[in-house]
Amino acid sequence: MEDPESTAQLPLPSPFGAKAEVIELPLPEQPASESKKESDQNQVQRPDSLWYGIYFPQLAELTESQQQEHLNELATVLENVSSTVSFHPQALICEIRSSLKYFGDIDTIHDKVNEPLNEALKQLSLPDYFLYAACPTVTGSLLLARSGHNGLVYRKDNLRSALGQLPTEVLHLEKEQNRRLYNMGVRHLRDIWRLPTDGLRKRFGSEFMNLLNKALGEAPEPTHNYVPPPAFSTSYDLPYEVESLDRLLPVADEMLRQLCEFLRRRDLSTSHLVFSLKHEKRNSTDINMSLRQTSRRSEHLLMLLETHFSNLMIPAPVIAMKMEVRKFDAFMSQSESLLAEDKPTARQYSDSNLNQFMEQLKARLGGHFVNSINTIAEHCPEYATKQLAYDEMVRTNRTEHDPESVPLTPRPFLLLQEPQQLVLKNGKLYHRKPITIISGPERIESYWWSGSDVRRDYYVALERNGSRLWIYRERSDEKNWYLHGYFA
Amino acid sequence: MKTYSENSTKAPEPLFGKAYKGPYSHIDGNDQNTLTDTPSIEELLQRNADLWRGCDMAGQGVHGRSTGYPQLDEILPGRGWPQNGLLEIISPQWGMGELQLLIPLMRSVIEQGQWILWISPPHLLYAPALVQAGINTDQVLVVNLETACKDALWSMEKALQTKNCGLVLAWQTWLPGKVLRRLQLAAESGSTLGVLFKHRDSKYSPSRIRLQLKGSSSDINNFNEAEVTVVKARGNFRPLTTRLQLYQHHS
Repeated sequence: MEDPESTAQLPLPSPFGAKAEVIELPLPEQPASESKKESDQNQVQRPDSLWYGIYFPQLAELTESQQQEHLNELATVLENVSSTVSFHPQALICEIRSSLKYFGDIDTIHDKVNEPLNEALKQLSLPDYFLYAACPTVTGSLLLARSGHNGLVYRKDNLRSALGQLPTEVLHLEKEQNRRLYNMGVRHLRDIWRLPTDGLRKRFGSEFMNLLNKALGEAPEPTHNYVPPPAFSTSYDLPYEVESLDRLLPVADEMLRQLCEFLRRRDLSTSHLVFSLKHEKRNSTDINMSLRQTSRRSEHLLMLLETHFSNLMIPAPVIAMKMEVRKFDAFMSQSESLLAEDKPTARQYSDSNLNQFMEQLKARLGGHFVNSINTIAEHCPEYATKQLAYDEMVRTNRTEHDPESVPLTPRPFLLLQEPQQLVLKNGKLYHRKPITIISGPERIESYWWSGSDVRRDYYVALERNGSRLWIYRERSDEKNWYLHGYFA
Repeated sequence: MKTYSENSTKAPEPLFGKAYKGPYSHIDGNDQNTLTDTPSIEELLQRNADLWRGCDMAGQGVHGRSTGYPQLDEILPGRGWPQNGLLEIISPQWGMGELQLLIPLMRSVIEQGQWILWISPPHLLYAPALVQAGINTDQVLVVNLETACKDALWSMEKALQTKNCGLVLAWQTWLPGKVLRRLQLAAESGSTLGVLFKHRDSKYSPSRIRLQLKGSSSDINNFNEAEVTVVKARGNFRPLTTRLQLYQHHS
C-alpha cells in the first residue's frame, strides 16, 4: 500500500445511495521523524478533529418532526462512542478523534455503533441500513456519507482530493442550481474548485460558497449538539432496618433537597416522582407521586410524601429507599402583578395553594374519591348531573354553563341514588311520617327508546316533620310512589 | 393588696392591651390611626369580634357576613355568619332547609373566588339545583360518601386550614368534643368557615355557633317557613328563635 497519509482512500464510485462496503483502513502509522515534525506543527495547530458522519437516506420520506424524533433516538446510540453528537438533515455526526485512542481504531468504533443502530432502525420500523464516512470536517463527512462511499480521510490536506471525486448531487442543491451546474459542465466537486470563486459567489450565492468552504475546513462550522434528556435517580441504603416510616422522612428530605438543587440548576421542575421502599426478600413498595402542578419545592414534595406515608402499610421493614424522577417539566415561575391594587377581590387566592391542597387530598384519599360536579343537558333527573373524578378534572376543560341545560322547575340539592318506594295507606302517603303534596305534577318522559322507560309525574312534597321532598309517581302499570330527593 | 395611687410614678401595666392586639390587629385597621385619634371604648367594643357585652345584642356592631335572611341576621352576634370557625346546624333529619340557609353565603364565597368543599353529603349532590341557586359548580368539590370517617375528618381539617376553601360542609352525626375543638382551631387558623350538619345537639360543643332547625307543620301555606333557633353563639347570652322564609333566594 502506498503512503496511507497522502491518499484519500476511496473505492470506485458505487451507485449513489446503494449500500457500500466497509473500507478497511489501517490506522496511520507515522514514521518517527515525521511524527516529530508533526508535533512541532502541533504546537501551533491543534490536531485535526475527526468527524464520523452517519447518513440515513430512508428518513428523507418522513416529515421534519418525525425525522427529528427518530434522530433523537438514534443519537442515544452514538452517545456510547462520542460526547459530541450533532444533528443534520437526515444525518448525525459525532466527533471521534478524542475517543479514537480509547477504542483503538475506527473499525472498533464502527462495530460498536453498527449493530445497535441497525437494531434501533428496526424498532422504528425503518430499513436497517445507513451510510457513513469520517473526515476532519463536519460538512465534509456529511458529503462523503451522502455519496455512499463510506470513505475515511484522516488529514485535512487530503480533503480536497477526496471530496473532489464526489458528484455535485451530494450538495443537495435546489433543482435550478443543479441544472445550472450541469449546464456549466460541472459534474464533480473538483470541477467547481477549478472555477473562479468570485464568479461562483455571484452566481450561486454566498451560502453555496460557505458550504464548500466548510467542507474543506476553511470556514467555522457551528453545530447543534445533542443534549441527552435529564435523569435523576438516587438511592440510600439504610444502616439498619426501619419499620416506622417516619424515620425515613429525614432521608427523603435530603434526597428531595438534592433533587430540587438539581432541578434549580437546570431550570426544570418535576411532575412525577417515584419512591420505592426496598424490603428484604420481598417486592419493593412503590409510591407514585404525580403532581397536578409541577413543583421544585422540597418542602412541598416532602409534605406530599408524608401524606402518602400516613396511610401506607409496609409488609416488611425497609432496608433501602430509592427515588426516581419520571417526568421533567420546564420551570414556570409565577409572575405577580406589579400593581397590588390591580384586582382587589377577584382571584386573590392563588391557584398554587389550591393545587397543593388538592394534591394532598388526592394523596390521602385517592383520585376517585375527590370529585367535581357538572350539569348535563338531560331531561331524566338521574342523568342530569355528572361527577368527574379528580384526574379527569385536570384534563377536561371546564365548559361554560349553558343556562338552557338547567330546568326551570325546582330541583333538589340532594338526589337519592336509588329512588325509595313510599307507602300508600288509606289514600295517604307515608315516608317516615305522613306526606303532603305541595306542588306538581311535573311530567318527565324519557328513554322510551331504551328498555327502561322513564315516565314519571314529579311533585314537591312536605313531610310532617319538616323535610322537603321530591317525590314521583310512576305512570306505568303499577303507579307506585317514590322518593327521589331532598330539597334541604 | 397592692394598689396604685394616682401619684404613683409607675403606671400600671395594661392588662388587656397586649392580649387582644396580636392576632386581631387587622380588625382595628391601621395601627397608626388608632394611635393618633384614640377611639372611644364604644367603638373599640363594636369593632372587636372577641369582645361582647352579654346584656346587649344591638350594640355589638357589624362584623359578620350577612346570612341573606334579615330575621336571622337580627339574632346572630355581629349581624351575620362569623368570618371563621365552626358552625353546627342541627336538624332532626336531612332535607329541612339546612342547605337553603347557606345559599347566600355560598354565593358570596364563590364570588370571592374561593372553593366550596362538600365532605360526604348523605346523598348525591345534584348539580342542576346548584346552578339554579346561582352557585358555580366549577368551584365545588365533593368528597365521596364512601370515604372513611377518619379520612373525611382529615380532609375537613386540611380544607379548613387552606385559605382557598371558603366554606367546608360536612355531614357527621356525632363527633367527640376533642375533634370539634381541633376543627374549630383549624378553621380559625385558615380563616375558613366550616359547617357541620348533625341530627342531634351536643351541649358542650366548642363550635362558634349552633343552630337548631325546626320544620314547619305540614300546612301548605307554611311550606316556605322554617323555625331557626340559635342555641348557642359566642356573643349571645340566651337562645333566640326566629321564623324565616326559606325559598326567597331561588332565581
